[in-house]
Amino acid sequence: MQTVTITLDGREVSGYPGMTILELARESGVNIPTLCHDPHLTPIGACRVCLVEDERTGAMLASCVAPIAAGMVINTNSSRVMDHRKNIVKLMLSSHPDSCLVCDKGNRCELRQIAADMGIGLVEFQRIPQMATIQEVNPFLERDLSKCILCAKCIRACQELVVEGAIDYFQRGFGTRPATWNNVPLENSECTFCGTCVALCPTGALTEREKLYRGTTKTTVETTCPFCGCGCSICLEVKDDYVVRVTPAKDSPVNKGTLCVKGSYGCDFIHSQDRLTKPLVKYNGNFEAVSWEEALGLVAARFKKIKGEYGSSSLAVLGSSKCTNEENYLLQRFARCVLGTNNVDNGSRLYSSASRVGLGSSIGFSGTTNDLDDLEQSEVIMVIGADPVSSAPAAGYAIKRAAKYKGAKLILIDPRRTKLASFAQLWLRPKVGTDVALMNGLAKVILDEGLLDEESIARRTDNFEAFCRNLEMYSLEYVKEITGVPTEEIAMAARLYAKASRAAIVYGTGITQYMTGTEGVKALANLALLTGNSRHGGGGIYALQRENNAQGACDMGTLPDFLPRYQRVADSGARRKFEQRWGVSLPGDRGLTALEIVEQAREGKIKGVYIVGENPALSFPDSGLIAEILASLDFLVVQDMFLTETARLANVVLPAASFAEKEGTFTNFEGRVQKVRKAIEPLGESLPDGEIILRLAERMGAPMPYSSPQQVMEELDELVPLREDVGYAESERRRSIYGGQLLKDFARFCPVEYVPQARTNGDYPFTLLTGVTLFHLGTGSRTSRASRLRKFSSQAFVEIGEFDAEKLGVNHGDKVKVISPVAELTSAVTITDTLPQGTVFMPLSFPDNPVTRLFSISLDPEAKTPSLKACHVRIERIEPNG
Amino acid sequence: MDEVKIAAEADLTRINEIVAEYSEEKWALIPLLQRIQNEVGYIPPQSVPIIASAVGLFPSQVQGVISFYAQLYTEPRGRNVIRVCRGTACHVRGGKTILKLVKQHVGLEEGETTPDLEYTLETVACIGVCALAPNIVVGDRVYGHMNPKKVEQLFKKSGG
Ligand code: SF4
Ligand code: SF4
Ligand code: SF4
Ligand code: FES
Repeated sequence: MQTVTITLDGREVSGYPGMTILELARESGVNIPTLCHDPHLTPIGACRVCLVEDERTGAMLASCVAPIAAGMVINTNSSRVMDHRKNIVKLMLSSHPDSCLVCDKGNRCELRQIAADMGIGLVEFQRIPQMATIQEVNPFLERDLSKCILCAKCIRACQELVVEGAIDYFQRGFGTRPATWNNVPLENSECTFCGTCVALCPTGALTEREKLYRGTTKTTVETTCPFCGCGCSICLEVKDDYVVRVTPAKDSPVNKGTLCVKGSYGCDFIHSQDRLTKPLVKYNGNFEAVSWEEALGLVAARFKKIKGEYGSSSLAVLGSSKCTNEENYLLQRFARCVLGTNNVDNGSRLYSSASRVGLGSSIGFSGTTNDLDDLEQSEVIMVIGADPVSSAPAAGYAIKRAAKYKGAKLILIDPRRTKLASFAQLWLRPKVGTDVALMNGLAKVILDEGLLDEESIARRTDNFEAFCRNLEMYSLEYVKEITGVPTEEIAMAARLYAKASRAAIVYGTGITQYMTGTEGVKALANLALLTGNSRHGGGGIYALQRENNAQGACDMGTLPDFLPRYQRVADSGARRKFEQRWGVSLPGDRGLTALEIVEQAREGKIKGVYIVGENPALSFPDSGLIAEILASLDFLVVQDMFLTETARLANVVLPAASFAEKEGTFTNFEGRVQKVRKAIEPLGESLPDGEIILRLAERMGAPMPYSSPQQVMEELDELVPLREDVGYAESERRRSIYGGQLLKDFARFCPVEYVPQARTNGDYPFTLLTGVTLFHLGTGSRTSRASRLRKFSSQAFVEIGEFDAEKLGVNHGDKVKVISPVAELTSAVTITDTLPQGTVFMPLSFPDNPVTRLFSISLDPEAKTPSLKACHVRIERIEPNG
Repeated sequence: MDEVKIAAEADLTRINEIVAEYSEEKWALIPLLQRIQNEVGYIPPQSVPIIASAVGLFPSQVQGVISFYAQLYTEPRGRNVIRVCRGTACHVRGGKTILKLVKQHVGLEEGETTPDLEYTLETVACIGVCALAPNIVVGDRVYGHMNPKKVEQLFKKSGG
């Protein structure tokens, strides 16, 4: 490419056309101070601190906005530049309160830093009077706009990065300040408390509330967020072995300087009073704190005894979609080599197995095909069965950015009106559980109107004829009858999706948590295959993951039918590689999945269970029954950070360290393998999960000799090298191929049939939908112990539409009973206009109100994922006095 | 009170119509705001989300624009807008007293509107007829050489 050469502080440097002076200076190692500039934001040239002069013309240029031009002679620190710059900073200081000493921003204040760098002390200008702090009741952030220097970073962050648009400038002249619409407090605005603006604000105008420590920390550790499957990079700021603050890592390609409220303000669970710091053993129904020695000795003895008496298949392990890859690798090896069973599964069974199985059999790939950058560049994005704004916020931001600023057309398919609806070009509202029919309907339109990618179908797929035959009955009229979606809308969606050259599909638990989840996933994959959108660089398929390492736990073989990297347990050749390395013979029969383990426990066939970082007593369907079954086991070991509902049922509880206390990697939903770094020492006597597993193996007389997480990964790379042709070479970015049963870039159409679901009936007239809220995750064992998240959102609720509420005679805040055939819960009513008639919604993750309890256990026949998305209930009003 | 409410609802209905028309024609934000201002007389805060979604902006952005332009109002204004001049010439000829008297007569502070929407009181920096100072403007008419008596007459005459 053509280059542009300029003289910068006496040196010749070259850049590409369109580059700003600041960009080129930074590339050349020349430091120019800035206050309103951030690489993720549109430059606006507001603060003028970045002034430089062009010696030829004498012009003063704001280097963050001025593009380079051939022949420029730029000085970044001549005395003229310095004088101007000083005056600009002094003017800012003259309207700034003298509260530096007590300001929370402390040494992180960029204004103060720049003033100090330029030797500015007391300002001699006349001082400009100030405005007062805004009273906020939210527990997350605080605004003292007297310290605002009008850099508009917060406004741009809110509009351009997280696309909430909660704030903009209000008034003009001296009165100008960033404000919410109507000047309402943040909690009444669109603000989601993502904390992005706080991280970007160069001064103390925006700061964190309820902080653990004011001031500057010495150590900052970059690691990966432990909550959702997006895998944002976060910085833990540490003081005296205490994580005092979390900020977004600036350079992450995943979050681009943003976070969500959980990442920013949810990590204080690390130092919760509730953390377990000693192993516990239950004697006569009461827990007693014991030494590791005693606890592990007991666990080893009991597991050995059960194995001796009832055989290996009477033992089972439930591993963790929250632990690191390396820990999952150790755990599955422990199950297979030490206990001798393939009865090992992980928590993602509850929400994403359908993706693994469905995508595996159609595109030969275990998960998401492309990355978030590709998603943002898509022409059309179809979001179905997912509310990424709540469940995968970083992906939600990317989708909103694409729709709002990059011209992407959004097709939203959801019975609920989620926040994405206002960004959507087209919003289809099918009846709950009819997605397979709708997808088949779209496919039929594409086929009938010849919108398919014939070349790609011919060259890269098979089974197309069978697929076409199966579609014959899915006429627009038929599909409309099933789904309730008008025929024009079905056709429009099909055309929009098929005509785009890069069309992405994003889906989540609204597809995978149905009994027909695998079918749903296959139906989506068919659409992508039909239009040539399934390949790398194409639009892609994005299977959202609920938890931080769901993808990794599966990649590492914490699964009953797969060894690490999807080597089939049943394949003796695959087994042999591991057997040789580990010096044992491995069981060759497929083990039990999570729910099957419990079922067999109920029948008395499973006697001992080892649960690591999962909370089935809350997360599984019919969780009341699950708890009973777990309590009746011969021996239950639970390893967790907290005394969860499941841990309370255990015979032995082993205290695990948090993500901030260990090394390893997490794999996000894109398949990106990212570092987890240790920031503090494990609390009390707790230990990283991997360390506990190693010690336990040793106590059982079968040591697993690894001295570091790297060693684990090296072993895996040796045993199952990543196929180079998967196209992800960089070390932090790897993918795994599913089972290797399909050739590279080859895929198979999987005809799927819509199977009608049971209908609501007179006894249970409402369809209950479940989903996550932005503020909590999983069973809430961590988020409910994060003080600020708990303060802001601690009450579960049931959302009821206006019409239904009127019919039931209930008002906002009333208590009602939600009754399913299995159980009942009491919850407070929230009236909403987001639901179709006859449908109510309850959030997951509130430990006091476990909506999972209402579900009966019914499994997807292929993926063995329990249905946890929708069930039928009746709502009863509780009379205020009785 | 109820009358006001009904009026406000009528205003919103009108705004909805304008926005609907707009959605077909795709104007820019400012002309849209001006049209609402001209036809309805003000831009009620409740209408901001509707306007915002029509132009593809955030409500906070639309509000930012409204608050930036002095000619755009967020509250209904009186049928007769009184502007008392505070320019230098008026000031030296007793403009301050005139302002005080006007305030007394109509019972308003600067920027306020009578509940019956008869009057809105504003001050302006200079209206450019300093020869007639002190001046006030009611609606489109300039009243020069004001004195206490004239103020009294003026507001009696127009029924205030
Ligand atoms: S609040 Fe902070 S980020 Fe926002 S404009 Fe003011 S100084 Fe800049
Ligand atoms: S916290 Fe996030 S949503 Fe709220 S104002 Fe700041 S950037 Fe916007
Ligand atoms: S979007 Fe997900 S990964 Fe990112 S900060 Fe939020 S919870 Fe963490
Ligand atoms: S950094 Fe360039 S004008 Fe603010």
